[in-house]
Amino acid sequence: MFRWNRVWQWTLIVVLVLVVLAPTALAEDPAKKPNFAFIAGVNDPFYITMQRGAQQAADLMGVNLIVQIPETWNATVQTPIIDAMLSRGDIDFMFLAPVDKEAMIEPLKRVVDAGIPMLTVDTFIGDGDYANGPVTFPLSYIGSDNVEGGMIAARALAEALGGKGKVYVQNVKPGISTTDQREEGFKKGIAEAPGMELVGVDYNDDDAGKGQAQTAAVLQREPELAGIFGTNVFSAQAAANAVKNAGLSGKVKVVAFDATEFAIQMLKEGTVDLVIAQKPAEMGFFAVEMGMAYLHGYVDIPKRIPTGYAVITRDNMDDPEISKWFYTGQSD
Amino acid sequence: MAAITETQDMSTATTSRQMLLRMVSRVWAWLFLGMLVAVFSVSAPGFFTVRSFQNIGINASETLIVALGQTFVIIAGGIDLSVGFVMGLVSVVAAVVMRALNLAGYPQGLVLLVGVVAGLIIGFIPGLINGLLIARLKAPPFIATLGMLGIAKCFAFLLSGGQTVGRQPDIVRLLGNSYFIYVAPNEPVTFFNPPPGADLRSVLGVMTLPLLIMIITAIVSHFVLAHTRFGQHTYALGGSRDASLRAGIDVDLHTMKLYIVCALLASLGGLVWTMRFNSGSPIAGEALMLNSVAAVVIGGASLFGGEGKVMGTVVGAFIMAVLYTGLVMLNVPPFWQFGAVGVIIIMAVLVDQAQAGIARR
Amino acid sequence: MEPLLAVKDMVKRFGGLTAVNHVSMEVYPYEVVGLVGDNGAGKSTLIKMISGVYKPDGGQIFFQGREVHINSPMEAREMGIETIYQDLALAENLDVGSNIFLGREPTQPFMGGLVRVLDRRYMLAESLKVLERLDIRIPDLTKEIRNLSGGQRQAVAIARAIYWDAKLMIMDEPTAALGVAEQRKVLDLVRMLRDQGVPVIIISHNMQDVFAVADRIVIMRRGIKAGERMARDTTVDEVVSLMVGAETVETA
Repeated sequence: MFRWNRVWQWTLIVVLVLVVLAPTALAEDPAKKPNFAFIAGVNDPFYITMQRGAQQAADLMGVNLIVQIPETWNATVQTPIIDAMLSRGDIDFMFLAPVDKEAMIEPLKRVVDAGIPMLTVDTFIGDGDYANGPVTFPLSYIGSDNVEGGMIAARALAEALGGKGKVYVQNVKPGISTTDQREEGFKKGIAEAPGMELVGVDYNDDDAGKGQAQTAAVLQREPELAGIFGTNVFSAQAAANAVKNAGLSGKVKVVAFDATEFAIQMLKEGTVDLVIAQKPAEMGFFAVEMGMAYLHGYVDIPKRIPTGYAVITRDNMDDPEISKWFYTGQSD
Repeated sequence: MAAITETQDMSTATTSRQMLLRMVSRVWAWLFLGMLVAVFSVSAPGFFTVRSFQNIGINASETLIVALGQTFVIIAGGIDLSVGFVMGLVSVVAAVVMRALNLAGYPQGLVLLVGVVAGLIIGFIPGLINGLLIARLKAPPFIATLGMLGIAKCFAFLLSGGQTVGRQPDIVRLLGNSYFIYVAPNEPVTFFNPPPGADLRSVLGVMTLPLLIMIITAIVSHFVLAHTRFGQHTYALGGSRDASLRAGIDVDLHTMKLYIVCALLASLGGLVWTMRFNSGSPIAGEALMLNSVAAVVIGGASLFGGEGKVMGTVVGAFIMAVLYTGLVMLNVPPFWQFGAVGVIIIMAVLVDQAQAGIARR
Repeated sequence: MEPLLAVKDMVKRFGGLTAVNHVSMEVYPYEVVGLVGDNGAGKSTLIKMISGVYKPDGGQIFFQGREVHINSPMEAREMGIETIYQDLALAENLDVGSNIFLGREPTQPFMGGLVRVLDRRYMLAESLKVLERLDIRIPDLTKEIRNLSGGQRQAVAIARAIYWDAKLMIMDEPTAALGVAEQRKVLDLVRMLRDQGVPVIIISHNMQDVFAVADRIVIMRRGIKAGERMARDTTVDEVVSLMVGAETVETA
């Protein structure tokens, strides 16, 4: 007869100890290939897609790609990961998406002091100008021109609305270089079109639920709202969900930044009308390429490598040249 | 007169097996930490080095400092959920003040002093308010500090505009990141600066200010809790509020002092963060909030109050820090890491229950 | 002999209810007074006026021959009136010494007087002394008192009161949660206190205990003093009938 006594309690404790340590069995076996460390910003399909591109280059060039993902978008969380990578002592190259353009400067200096060449992908430190700006030690900044991306979104939305209408922005939190710039670019693009009016910008803290609530409130407040721009994955999903729940799919045009499976799905359904896709796989691929180039003595790496955009609509989404830019959520 | 002896009442005949179990329960956290260090040292290259251990300590510094404040409050039977954003608020306040004074051209030492003082003064206020709400208005600590969390977060974001505050005087990042001693092969030992011309890769720095502040804070906290009246009354309050009242302890005043201490330590954590990251960020402590409570609980404190030790919190904080670093060094897939701390907390609760069962014998 | 404590004409009202209705009582040194009565008789209320928890609505309190006004439990303690309630007011997570000195911990200077540190050695030594004086033996004074039996905890509460020079001890249901053997030991302690010159007022529902230890019994019923007897001159039956109302004759 089973009785929950202290023997079972201690057994459970021992089992839990083994469970905690079991993942160490999954630890990778470092091979003789060069070790490239990639530290994402947070767990989301954008960085998973970037990892795929990086892995593709790594396989082609004989690189051992070591990937770590912080639990939250926070400098206090990303820094110990970087320091742990340094402590390994066997990293030859590092590329990462720094989560704070001010606070990550000191931790990344340690990387360079340890003799490891590094570059940043997607986001930057300082002002992103590693040639003439306040921070110049990273090798390169590989990422979209987010101001341009915002402008593209504004122009595409203006075109879809016939040049006239009220628009609203769902953003993440101020302080993230990329989304700040998309907001800036969008505002610039809207200013170019005299018939367009921006009614507001909200920050959802990377919380899809919060973004949905904010969007729903704006939909109530502004019955004439014609377009919404979601500046990143979660923001776009939140806005699209709110539009769908309000039954306004198709009436309010949603422009989504970042082509997640969800965004593509909503495009298909008609809740989202335009998807501005970055090319994270391209960023990851370039990063590994540049790393290998540098390690082989080809050190004249451009300080800025802008990656492009694909504008996805319902009309072109079945074209394989376009669909290859969709972000996939699963890592291989 | 009949004497009261205990033999008829308490069967204290303990078998050697029970005594072993009892001893293990008391030191299980240490054993677990030792085991983690051993496992990682063997399986992760680079783990068992001075540099690696020091980095673990440095990255744990803010968490431990905040957790020490939390220890006081939890021993007395309360909890402070606002620590993470008090830390962020103070980091922002100090950074904003220092940026303004720095840009105005004041001498660096003065700028630093004013920034630190401003940070501590601002950090005192949430502690005072928490104390008033909980002691005078009898608000449940969970609710009161949850409310303060929101208020601190609001002010932190307002002051900083949501952005990280930079442009600090050089002295800030130097204090936060320079080592006191530099050791390099074939070079004499230098202080505060690496040996000129040495290859930075082979230079080992020993002891930084954040690390020193963490160590001193732990020692002082231990001393206060274990050897002063203040510490004794803290344990008494957690053990029995009634007994403390009847013994003449000013329970309300003591409660207020505890929440002020907790907020001040969170503020110290914020200042250390500002030095290490050369900037002020409202979200600096967001991730530390739950970790500070976890460290205290893993270290053996009871959330009902009355139990807990500084050494326990230290071990708890280091178990988490060692786990985070070791799992990354082994390149364990990130999703597995997310649950690691949760599992440890469950273990801590189970061990605590098992030990309580033995102690009741 | 002059009474150590004399209360005259005590009154306490709660709203429309008169809990204590003109009650007078005396306590002399070297005696144990049993205060008995059914639930709601007013004995707890009377006691709480003596120990400073309630303010009397009428009447006078005389302690050591002088009239006193007791405005708080602290004042009562300072006068030497110690009350041990049913819940003992001990901190389970602290050891014996810490409990005895709770709120009044001795300190010694440390680091050249910069800081004051708990003087644990003094607390331990003094605790041993007072426990010996009461002939209480607790093997490990450094263990948390949650590990002690109910009777031992009572003993610690009593020792605490004695250490701080109690002149009058009031005990509310001291044997309520104890086993038979421990009850006997607590009653031994009560007798020891009396013999050392500290009178005890003991409130109890347990007639056996009252008759075992009290010299004099005061019976209350519905707010009035229903009767007073020397223990050796009365029986359980008489006391019970006074409690429930068969007789109302008051004997000095």
